[in-house]
Amino acid sequence: MKQYILLFLTMTSFLIVVTRCADYPIDEDGLLITDRAECYVSNFDLLGTDFQTARTAAPAIDTTAQTINIEVFFGTDLKNLYPQFTLAQDAKLDPKITGKEDFSDLTNPKKWTVISGNRKVRKTYTVYVTVQQPS
Amino acid sequence: MKNIIINIAKYTLIVLMIVSCGEWEYSVPEVSPGLKNDCINHSLGPNVVGQYIEFAYAMAIKPEEGKLATATVEASIAGAEGTYLDHKSYYTNGSGVNVGVEVGNSSTTSGNKTTVTFTADTCAATLRYYYKIPEEARGKDVSFTFSASASNGEKVQYEMGPYKVREMDLKLDLIAKDGSTCYISVADMAVYDATAAASNPERIDLIYLHRSVPGVTFNHSIVSPTSDAQYRPGLELSSGLHNKSKLIKAWNIQDRQLARMQYGVFVDDVDLKNMNFNDAPDYIINMRPESGLWVETENGKYRAYIFINKVDNAKKEITFSIKRLQVN
Repeated sequence: MKQYILLFLTMTSFLIVVTRCADYPIDEDGLLITDRAECYVSNFDLLGTDFQTARTAAPAIDTTAQTINIEVFFGTDLKNLYPQFTLAQDAKLDPKITGKEDFSDLTNPKKWTVISGNRKVRKTYTVYVTVQQPS
Repeated sequence: MKNIIINIAKYTLIVLMIVSCGEWEYSVPEVSPGLKNDCINHSLGPNVVGQYIEFAYAMAIKPEEGKLATATVEASIAGAEGTYLDHKSYYTNGSGVNVGVEVGNSSTTSGNKTTVTFTADTCAATLRYYYKIPEEARGKDVSFTFSASASNGEKVQYEMGPYKVREMDLKLDLIAKDGSTCYISVADMAVYDATAAASNPERIDLIYLHRSVPGVTFNHSIVSPTSDAQYRPGLELSSGLHNKSKLIKAWNIQDRQLARMQYGVFVDDVDLKNMNFNDAPDYIINMRPESGLWVETENGKYRAYIFINKVDNAKKEITFSIKRLQVN
């Protein structure tokens, strides 16, 4: 009986050691690299300094052309907007968004690259902002 | 062996049952002799000149030892006119309403001291003290000594503070009206009409206007005199207005002292000092009730937080309150 218990304990310990040493790859940001190859933007918003949405309607996101067209309210302060992306699962954004962004140069739209979960697919999206005008 | 263990378990169970059923008799705690006192500060948020700091001062003595004679508060800086120690002791009735019972004469203030002399034959009372913060206290610490005396000659005292008085100013419920008193001076914390604005253009930092512009949501807006004409349609500026104030739109900052609502949010000196106005615009469109704006005047002398208390579309006016700090 004692021998069986010892054998069981030894095997369990061995299994724990083997499984805990499994190697999960992480990227340079410490994020888990997964098997997912999906790489797209599913939603986008721009928030003003009051952290309220500045968009007049849902943005037009073209995942083929890799563009985002968004209209903001008349009078929006374009120099101080917080972009907000929703991405495919496990994907990340480059460059990272760390605060307010300046969208005031409408002739040079800003670009962000979406990187898939497996870190092998990269797609650069261009954000075109237009301002609502009086009719 | 097995029997011994079973017997021990039985006896332990019986002992536990006996012990757990024991009754613990409660007795009212015996109050130690002498005059007692206690105090709490009722006020929340930053202490601003012109506002009140409120306290509740409780004092009691055993009936057989005597009754309350006087209650006094001494402030380290004399309070402004309007400082008083309430001569009523309050209780809350069944409907949740505070009911005051007069226990003494109205308070008298002499210098830093405010006193109530008890007239009722009472051995316990809680008096409320309202200290109106004077101009002399701006930026300083203020502390309070609460004291009480009893008919048997006993005296007690209780120290409160120090409390820091802020540098900022506060003004409530200014009304700006489109086409009339629409010129706002942060420096003066006041609104002016066009004539007054034209005679003092350097003091006008903002202009309020209400417009219905087809295709966009304009409504109640606040702009600097220098703002682009598209943000002040149909507005003829009084000559000489030149200030380019920087504005930042805010939401969900219902400062309790300005809004007088249920929110526990306070704008303090440090918030105004640390606000970053780089790249801030000189206009804000579509202000809603309970929204706000951070302002920095052109000369950088003042920073302010303006809270929109109320808007009236029909009258084309807004009611706003302001906290302002001189930073330079």
